[in-house]
Amino acid sequence: MSNEATAHDHHHDHKPPFFQRWFCSTNHKDIGTLYLAISMVAAIIGGLMSWYIRLELAEPGIQYIDDFQFYNVLVTAHGFIMVFFVVMPALIGGFGNWFVPLMIGAPDMAFPRMNNISFWLLVAGFILLLLSAVIGDGPGTGWTVYPPLSDSNFHPGPSVDFGILSLHVAGASSILGAINLIVTIFNMRAPGMTIHRMPLFVWAILITAFLLLLALPVLAGALTMLLTDRNFGTHFFDPGAGGDPVLWQHLFWFFGHPEVYIIIIPAFGIISQVISTFSQKPVFGYLGMAYAMSAIGVVGFVVWAHHMFTVGFDVDTRAYFTVATMVIAVPTGVKIFSWLATMWGGSIKMEVPMLYALAFIFLFVVGGVTGITLANASADLVFHDTYFVVAHFHYVMAIAAILGMFCGFFYWIGKMSGKQYPRGLAKLQFWVFFIGVNVLFFPQHFSGLAGMPRRIPDYPDPYVAWNYISSVGALITAVGTLLFFVVLWMTLRSKETVGANQWGVGATTLEWTVESPAPFHTHEELPDMTGKAPAE
Amino acid sequence: MLKRFFALLPAGLIYLLGGQALAEVEMRSKPWQMWLQEPMSESAIKVHDLNLGLMVLETVIVIFVLALMVYILIRFNEKNNPVPSKTTHNTLLEVVWTAVPILILVVVAVPSLKALYFTDSNPDVEMNIKVKGNQWYWSYAYPDNGDIEFDSLIIPEDELEDGQPRLLSVDNPLVLPAHTKIRFLIASNDVIHNFAMPSLAIKVDATPGRVNEVWTEINEVGDYYAMCSELCGVNHGFMPIHIKAVSKEDFAKWVVEAKEEFADNSSSDQPKTIRLAEAENVTR
Amino acid sequence: MSQRAKKNARFAFMLTTLVAAMIGLSFASVPLYQLFCQVTGYGGTLNTENVAAPTGVSDKTVKVRFDANINPDLAWRFKPLQREVTVKLGEENLAFYEAENVGSKPTTGQAIFNVTPFKAAPYFTKIECFCFTEQTLAPGQIVSMPVQYYVDPELFEDLDTKEISTITLSYTFYPIELDESEQEDGEKINLSAWVTAPNKS
Repeated sequence: MSNEATAHDHHHDHKPPFFQRWFCSTNHKDIGTLYLAISMVAAIIGGLMSWYIRLELAEPGIQYIDDFQFYNVLVTAHGFIMVFFVVMPALIGGFGNWFVPLMIGAPDMAFPRMNNISFWLLVAGFILLLLSAVIGDGPGTGWTVYPPLSDSNFHPGPSVDFGILSLHVAGASSILGAINLIVTIFNMRAPGMTIHRMPLFVWAILITAFLLLLALPVLAGALTMLLTDRNFGTHFFDPGAGGDPVLWQHLFWFFGHPEVYIIIIPAFGIISQVISTFSQKPVFGYLGMAYAMSAIGVVGFVVWAHHMFTVGFDVDTRAYFTVATMVIAVPTGVKIFSWLATMWGGSIKMEVPMLYALAFIFLFVVGGVTGITLANASADLVFHDTYFVVAHFHYVMAIAAILGMFCGFFYWIGKMSGKQYPRGLAKLQFWVFFIGVNVLFFPQHFSGLAGMPRRIPDYPDPYVAWNYISSVGALITAVGTLLFFVVLWMTLRSKETVGANQWGVGATTLEWTVESPAPFHTHEELPDMTGKAPAE
Repeated sequence: MLKRFFALLPAGLIYLLGGQALAEVEMRSKPWQMWLQEPMSESAIKVHDLNLGLMVLETVIVIFVLALMVYILIRFNEKNNPVPSKTTHNTLLEVVWTAVPILILVVVAVPSLKALYFTDSNPDVEMNIKVKGNQWYWSYAYPDNGDIEFDSLIIPEDELEDGQPRLLSVDNPLVLPAHTKIRFLIASNDVIHNFAMPSLAIKVDATPGRVNEVWTEINEVGDYYAMCSELCGVNHGFMPIHIKAVSKEDFAKWVVEAKEEFADNSSSDQPKTIRLAEAENVTR
Repeated sequence: MSQRAKKNARFAFMLTTLVAAMIGLSFASVPLYQLFCQVTGYGGTLNTENVAAPTGVSDKTVKVRFDANINPDLAWRFKPLQREVTVKLGEENLAFYEAENVGSKPTTGQAIFNVTPFKAAPYFTKIECFCFTEQTLAPGQIVSMPVQYYVDPELFEDLDTKEISTITLSYTFYPIELDESEQEDGEKINLSAWVTAPNKS
């Protein structure tokens, strides 16, 4: 059957001319590629910002950045870029677009033109963000943009407004993308591909899309309120006129907490696919995994105020948010143990994607457990706004989510490009990056324990030890990142090709039944999944 | 035990002798520090102990997962186990690994919530302090001690004297009596700041339009340092907090001096902010 | 449009309404937040609706402290005329604050307030106060502003609040701009014109 499908695809494989293909695309694979490209560009820019910050923080005193507004702008832009323009586009726009239709047997997304709009909106959002940093004084508010610091009294000029517009546009991009993904997954699965036969990556993207749909509009509302406070005389966050700065925090974090699950859940999906493939075993407890992700998504909506423990609200409320936040550890634990149980009894192949998946599991656990400390409102009293928090979220986002991205890259690059990555170099790159990020972020736990606050350009002298080491780690990570681009370059130029299924019997999802590189159009005849063994 | 020791000695005499020698603590980070600062109040001790327990638990979890992974990677390597099993379910296991974490969390929640409610309690206090955050310095007021008010600005690096830690020293520290229950009323004059003192487990947002309260009782005489803990603009990293905890007798002496020194405070000649208001917030 | 396209479009429309609903919810959060705070006394919001007279005076007492704050943009001196009083629960009491315009122009202020500890707020009932009322003071003018309140005896029945020994009522005065017709001598205060000298380090 696949031979016929392949031959069929070939006939229709003529691609549109360059401009039409890349600027007016309606092809989920090309749009996925575009998303991956913008993610990489943004990663370089966001990374350069963070390396500059680490350069300044390597030693006490001010050596490079004596304009502290600029420092705060770097901190802000770094955060926005990494969250909105690196991780989300790569995992959801990139791998989501590429592989959801392939995995469910759909020829494309439900709304191919809207898919394109989503991508170009993201580009516009990115440009607006970069503009916000260079026009005026730049937004020196942190990615959390708390008023009154972000209102027109304390940040006059257009910078914050550009930042707000950037997020509105990027948010619109993601909302449209989420609608597209949800409709595709619900309505366009191949016959026989029931919801409970979908690969876990598709589950992950589905849940993420719902989170986007429900959380991003709240951010949009809050941003609009800030915009009107700044420019049109409203007083949502102005206490003198009956408003409340804390209202912003509630709205922002109501979005902000689900946002971090939006970032990690697609990575969970990739890890499930990879662990299964390279253990040559189906995922243990498929249903438990699907429901664990759903539970994480749902509970993620009712824990936002653990970011606000020091605002000064009611002790009973803090007690609730403490307990609710810790509850999330339960489904997360189910996932970790299920991955281990998948590997148990398997026949494990230590290919590069597997290395990344294993590193992901371990380092996500490290990052996750410090979350348990932070979840407790009383324990948080000594950690709020210190580098301990910075270490925690970088472990789960900058390390785990990015490892998930690399994992997906090495797992699927063969399918996307038809080429084989250089194995030895890729393994080296893995180790350099792995060592780099750990040297970079682990010492930050100690800085935070010792009391070093966040978002400062200079620190009291005793903090130098761990800061210096952390900066060395940043350098190693930079080398690891550079190596990745070398690996990418060498892969795309490689003469060694791969076949439809380069991973063997462990790779059981539908994308491995089409050629590599995947033809321009796939699944033009829907594969028939009725009667086939379930995905689990 | 140290407390009793100090109670026996005439603390005033020691102060007059310039006696810093006898165990006056200095609460700030030490180089290469890997753990929390010493807890110097009962709240801080509870928080400290809770964190220790949590860290132990978390380390055990990480080691446990790591050990499992190492075992799995050796035992079920392609070479050692060429034929993979097909097991995808084990109900007992799934129940256990759901129930056990729940139990662990319940066990964690109990001391955690106890510590939380303790830090939020409202004991009868002996004095109140008003703390105001400003861009970029703190203002303190002593409504119960004769309405002393002053601003506490960072000492620039080129004006530091010997022994004054860089980025933590201020011109007018917040002088407080040790072994005294104190309530802080914390607010802000402009943007959101955060009044912190890790060794006392204090971390409270200073939000404009709102007054937050926290209480403490400092266990030992000494110098306590911290930094503003909420991004508040360009000099966020340069508005430290220095609490100088002294004995009750020394505090009474200081109050007398301070009333004179800060009497004319509304027209302080430090050009920190040009305000429209001549008078600072006068609160009693 | 094909069957599938119709299905897709319908589903997309439903999801879009969900998005619109969430946006609406975030705007609705403003009045909802206020309502929630008033009903539950959350965050130190006092009970100022449905103010009933106290039901009976108890013998138990609690200390009430009075705190005053001025936004730096308002050229007033503002202080409570009594720092701390011990009151019986259920007893109606009067407290006074004094404000003086120490600037050279007439200015208008409006006060907001909160009560700490926050859990005491539902039990601190203000019968009359000057909050949210605009006060215009001519230069040099001094006014005395009353607050009539009582502390509900239920305070000591509630498990959360029975240990409370002191309740602090804080007012903060903010400047507000009135248009020409409402202000006495016309000249407006430029509220965003305060300048900060950069810190030396």
